[in-house]
Amino acid sequence: MSEYSREVALSRLNELLAEELEASIRYLHLGTLVQGIDRLVIQKVLQENHEETVEHAQQVSEKILQVGGTPQPKINLELTGEKCTGIEALQTALLFEQAALDAYKEFLEVVEGSGDVVLEEFARQQVALESEHVSELRMLLGENTVGSE
Amino acid sequence: MDWREFDQNPVSHSAAHHLTAIQQLLEDQGYARVSDVARKLGITRGSVSVSLKGLRQRGLVVEDQHKHLGLSDEGQRIARGIHTKRVLFQAFLEKSLGLPADLAEMDACKIEHLVSDLTAEALAIYIDRREDASDSSSDREQQVNALEDSIREGRVEAFPGKEIETISERLQSSSEEQSKDKDDE
Repeated sequence: MSEYSREVALSRLNELLAEELEASIRYLHLGTLVQGIDRLVIQKVLQENHEETVEHAQQVSEKILQVGGTPQPKINLELTGEKCTGIEALQTALLFEQAALDAYKEFLEVVEGSGDVVLEEFARQQVALESEHVSELRMLLGENTVGSE
Repeated sequence: MDWREFDQNPVSHSAAHHLTAIQQLLEDQGYARVSDVARKLGITRGSVSVSLKGLRQRGLVVEDQHKHLGLSDEGQRIARGIHTKRVLFQAFLEKSLGLPADLAEMDACKIEHLVSDLTAEALAIYIDRREDASDSSSDREQQVNALEDSIREGRVEAFPGKEIETISERLQSSSEEQSKDKDDE
């Protein structure tokens, strides 16, 4: 387990907030770039995922406030304007969803056994949710998936 | 000259930072993961993952089964070249033009991935001559003359060549010593 302190928890929560906010913008942006016969279906998936990441961002912000901090995400987004197919959009989404899952797993390692039951429970719940997201995207892409790895 | 060609530069500013960050992490800690690159660059893992996709497709970055990142031979060459250019331009801006270290570092960072290999070699020779005018050993003179000949002919064999990297390493350690002395004061 990594060493736990309130500052470390806040710093990690702000990193998670940045991941979620950037992901929500990426989903919106991908939705505008997707082309092809499956465009409408993929746009619906991207829109749903966008809404979920906004919800996650709100939850992370709440946790930051509960720990006594202020939400201060460092956003530095670089978006390309290249059109993509539905598959390419989902492949890109899988990259940042997997990154978010890894970030939550690392956060769980930080808070696990720290005595902060609320944060620990939150981290577990988010790992489960993000694992589902990743699995869902893998299934849509026709990739084999076994749990959250 | 067509200024729009700059947008076609093979290595974007972001790509340059990702490649040099991986190179530095490998040198410093022996491994580089997406999380390490993200912390080093002060960006999210999501951004790093998306950026690395393009670099992987271009064969510059490789990833093993444990999600440890590495650079291909070409990736290493580009990363070393960018790092060398950054050191050279920083030294030139700071020592020859007398700019403050912070500004020199920032402006060198803006230039490093855009400037040609030929210009960087010419700059290395200029700095080397200016730095160490007293050293006129025949070996060194021959090396410099050979480099100058290649520049006049408008060609660079492989950037950064051994001589250029030696100059860059010397400049970097001199700069590090200077900032250490300042900290001690």
